[in-house]
Amino acid sequence: MSARDAILGALRRPVPDDIAAQAAALVQGNERPPEPAGTLVERFTARLGGASVAATLDRVAALHEIPAAVGRYLGEQGMTPALYLPPDPLVAALGWDGFAITDVALPDQPAALAMAKAGVAESGSLVFETGPGAPMLPNFLTLHHIVVLHADALVDRLEDIPANLSGTRAHYWVTGVSGTTDIEGQYVRGAHGPRFLHVVLVG
Amino acid sequence: MSFGQRVDLALADPILKIAVERTAGTAEAKRKIAVDAFPAFEDARTRAAAIKDHVIANLGHYLEIFETNAVAAGAKVHWARTAQEASTIVIDLCRAAGAKSVARSKSMLGEEIGLPHALAEAGITRVETDLAEHIIQLADERPSHIVWPAMHKTREQVSALFKAKHRDPHVEETITAMAESARRHLRTEMLSADVGISGANFLIADSGSICTVTNEGNAELSVVPPRVHIVTAGIEKLVPSMPHAIHLLRLLARSATGAALTQYTSFYTGPKRADDRDGPEEMHIVLIDNGRSAMAADAALKEMLRCIRCGACMNHCVVFRQVGGHAYGGTYPGPMGAVLTPALDGLSANRDLAHACTMNGRCQEVCPVNIPLPTLLRGWRERSWREGLEPQTMRQGLGLWRRLVLRPWAYRIASANAVRAMRVLARGGWIKRMPLAGAWTDHRDMPAPTGGTFMAQYAKGRRR
Repeated sequence: MSARDAILGALRRPVPDDIAAQAAALVQGNERPPEPAGTLVERFTARLGGASVAATLDRVAALHEIPAAVGRYLGEQGMTPALYLPPDPLVAALGWDGFAITDVALPDQPAALAMAKAGVAESGSLVFETGPGAPMLPNFLTLHHIVVLHADALVDRLEDIPANLSGTRAHYWVTGVSGTTDIEGQYVRGAHGPRFLHVVLVG
Repeated sequence: MSFGQRVDLALADPILKIAVERTAGTAEAKRKIAVDAFPAFEDARTRAAAIKDHVIANLGHYLEIFETNAVAAGAKVHWARTAQEASTIVIDLCRAAGAKSVARSKSMLGEEIGLPHALAEAGITRVETDLAEHIIQLADERPSHIVWPAMHKTREQVSALFKAKHRDPHVEETITAMAESARRHLRTEMLSADVGISGANFLIADSGSICTVTNEGNAELSVVPPRVHIVTAGIEKLVPSMPHAIHLLRLLARSATGAALTQYTSFYTGPKRADDRDGPEEMHIVLIDNGRSAMAADAALKEMLRCIRCGACMNHCVVFRQVGGHAYGGTYPGPMGAVLTPALDGLSANRDLAHACTMNGRCQEVCPVNIPLPTLLRGWRERSWREGLEPQTMRQGLGLWRRLVLRPWAYRIASANAVRAMRVLARGGWIKRMPLAGAWTDHRDMPAPTGGTFMAQYAKGRRR
């Protein structure tokens, strides 16, 4: 007997006819942490700036203002205007004159930009999906993770994230920087991946 | 070495208790803040338990759905009955990929199936990417906690280790500088691995996705660059769909570290797509039973399959806080380990674990899936008694006790004599040595009884 047949055989039980309804009922109206008053943007940005996520925030009115915002951030950090950009036509079209742009993230990439699919007010999470214009690795190699998010892509709860798991290879939530508490429980930022998270909120 | 000997060693170690206390104490305080900020937490954990119970009752059904969807997404699904089968599958996959080195993202299941040892035997270089697992690997030790495997190490010990083993070690004696030293050392090793191995915190049936959570981002750096990604997962990790995973994720991070969510929560569905810029060419998912299907059919153990491996039970356990994780001897320490280890490794060699418990119930109170850990531990005690595994002295002692308590007059005389004897032995209210109680007095003084037996006080109207 194959291992598969043996394991499934040992677990064989009559499956209830309404198993799908049972499963759905189990999360119907589930308990969630309370949310403070305020608009989506207010709640999201409050979480973003909180101790746990500890991201910095810049707000711009329109997409074309992004390069200037990114330049401002890099300047404030005392960095040269050098940046990894994902192969997304929308990003390339913004015009990056004056930046040293790379399309290959280095193992010690100083700064990388990424477009978030959504933001979550409940947790301050940024949601990403892989695709032709959105590789995953640069977002973990870079020291400064610069994320562009449309204000109209904000959602209230984790359950509200538009997720088509079967549609993309990787779907991931970033809720802060790479951190560790592995030595005596003391928190250190920049364990393996980003030490800094900067969000440019558009709109 | 027996459990008792390991405990003696742990209690005699002056550094261990400081190290355990620093991390577990912080975790306990942070969890409390997070749970206090979630007033419906009690109802949420009742629901979480119901979700896991539903999955366990229909595990075969969900495994088949998961397999169908994972295969449709391009992943290969493997099945392993035992730890041995599982590690053989992983090693064969590594060999087929021509792997010289693998990057491994911490998974307790990997420890359970003996993967570190199997990789070493196969001559494959193992790069542990979780900072704590990296420390453990450099020290050639085993994890002592399921969330903080290097909990038993102090910063001074980590510093010495890194200075001896890192190419470009830290100079400044701070934890930040030590973490940076590991970052420099591990980055190149991670990026050049041929295979990435991770566990899974959840397997999502309706999409065939696997979910990993980390705060370091090491899982992503371990499994995205290599050509092959191997996932080892226990069959109990299934959830029906994303909303179920979300409900459990909210409880997992709060219970483990006190955060609302882990920093990185990733869902992977199959290997790299044709137009993707990165990701593995092959994704293999090894579904591992190793005693779980038997537990699912055992009324006295199946609730243990609810466990989502947060570590809260051990952080709040008075015994764990004294002896640390290594004393337990198995892959999983603390209360959850004391229940799991006899199921995984056999009761006869592990019967002591169920006795290393004060039955204070803290573990169940803080468990995010409300596992009745004290009840399950009591179940092992009873089973050990029924199977005749308890030592002769214990059986005779309890027999004597039984005879005594069935005769109240004899019990009263015996306890009154014991109180008198203990007063004679006491100096300044404390007993340093007492016959038959060496297990207690070898390590600490026993308080001397004050005011006579309960019955004597009751007769005088001082107790009711």
